[in-house]
Amino acid sequence: MTAYLQALRMINFRNYADETVLLSPGLNVVVGENALGKTNLLEAISFALTGSTPRTPKENEVVRWDQDFCRTEARVALEDGGRKVAVGYAPGQKKRPTVDGVPATSLTNYAAGGAGVRVINFFPDDLRIVKGAPADRREFLDALISALRPAYARAAADYARAVQQRNQLLRRIRDGFSSERTLATWDRKVVELGETVLKGRVAAVERLEPFLADSLGALYGPEKAALRYSYSAPLETYAEALREARGADIERGTTSVGPHRDNFEVSLGGVDLTTYGSQGQQRLATLALKFAARDYVRWATGEDPILLFDDVMSELDEQRREYLADYFLQSVQAVISTTNPEYFRPEVLQRSRVIRISGGPVTVSTMAGARG
Amino acid sequence: MATYARPVERLITELSKLPSIGPKSAQRIAFHVIRGRQEDAFGLAEALREVKERIRPCRRCFNLTEAEECEICRDPRRDPSVICAVEDPYDIGSIERTGEYRGLYHVLGGALSPLDGIEPEDLRIAELVERVKVEGTQEIVVATNPNTTGEATALFIAQEVEDLPVRVTALASGLPVGGDLEYADEVTLGRAFAGRREL
Repeated sequence: MTAYLQALRMINFRNYADETVLLSPGLNVVVGENALGKTNLLEAISFALTGSTPRTPKENEVVRWDQDFCRTEARVALEDGGRKVAVGYAPGQKKRPTVDGVPATSLTNYAAGGAGVRVINFFPDDLRIVKGAPADRREFLDALISALRPAYARAAADYARAVQQRNQLLRRIRDGFSSERTLATWDRKVVELGETVLKGRVAAVERLEPFLADSLGALYGPEKAALRYSYSAPLETYAEALREARGADIERGTTSVGPHRDNFEVSLGGVDLTTYGSQGQQRLATLALKFAARDYVRWATGEDPILLFDDVMSELDEQRREYLADYFLQSVQAVISTTNPEYFRPEVLQRSRVIRISGGPVTVSTMAGARG
Repeated sequence: MATYARPVERLITELSKLPSIGPKSAQRIAFHVIRGRQEDAFGLAEALREVKERIRPCRRCFNLTEAEECEICRDPRRDPSVICAVEDPYDIGSIERTGEYRGLYHVLGGALSPLDGIEPEDLRIAELVERVKVEGTQEIVVATNPNTTGEATALFIAQEVEDLPVRVTALASGLPVGGDLEYADEVTLGRAFAGRREL
């Protein structure tokens, strides 16, 4: 229960040319004005420990503007000593994660705990998990399960590929380039992979729900929170539904049934928050989902993930800020960014490491305890 | 940007058409050839010519051969009741090196992939079905690659011979022998787990 990040070196990562940051177990508060690199530091931690950035699908953006590669190096403290992990990345080439100098078997395995510790991120854009489209919710769920089960990550990727193949086949049939002879074959392949994805998601949602109820209860109030997985077709009738959709699918040239069309609903007191939630409720529900994800990782692995929460305090009232501060203090490790250190009470800051990011050429100074 | 004499440029261009050879590797190989002995270079040229002139697909299994039928098809010691279907001729080499298989082969010439426009008609699946009928094959071992397209191809073959008295099997996928469980990648290990057997 004690794995945490001791040190991070960022080379050509976003606005950092070559910086090293030391971190403590427990709460780390990253303080600095806007646009100086607080978020980039949190992103770099995530990149270092999972091999990819949670912020953007355009990964080449993480490389410093006039450079052609970036690299992160991290020292992770474990119960039985330490581990050095590094990720090198040159856009257009395969990423090369290493653990104690030895190349990881694959990026998927590295992301699923290969670095020795997992992470739970919160970036302001994550609001879309509750507020946004079903695709945003599916992505959240898939990323969470993939961080625990590399076989799921592979099945989900293969499923996406099989659906692409089927879609292309549907269009070729529609346009007269293919016969329907191989459609049954692709349906079988799609269903075989899709079932793995469905089972994984349904099991995760079931497990997440009580955790979400607890955390949203603590953050919001006594109304009951619920998670409901909504199927385009449930497991038992999935193969049949896909077969029945063939005609319509051929016409549209796209696969209308399967986990790539599913959704899950987050509700509070029976009300779907995506459609009817206030901005404040959606924000708290997103936070609560992240906390539920923490509990889920803890349940599945027996280890706490590192919490990386970007600018989470500013939108909350004082009572909730205090709740969060306590929550972070009690975590194995949390790295929280803020423009205003006064969001934390002085006694909280005294028990934390405060990392100040100042302007000009970016320098990172680390000090234990608070000033002012 | 012709930096070198025209024949040198031509050699570099031809070399860079080869798979997994980029412009830099092509240049390095070209200069290696230029520096090397004349008979080595002519030997290579002659080998390239010979392979294109004399090698053709076996009329029965589509393995590469100099004759009408390949050596494996002509070998009376092979078991003609089993056919192993592979994507490419070089897969035969891999299986032969195991020394475990004594049946015949069938080269499909790829795998089904709508994204690449590859249809059953582009593969030698009909030829395989015909062989099963004519040769009275008892088992097809499908040894396509363990990826989406390879596995879909295997499923399709099974579907095509459904009504024939032939058994269709696929290779198991699982752990590498001689390795430690600890070092197996999780996906392979997960598959091996799903395909575990009774002892």
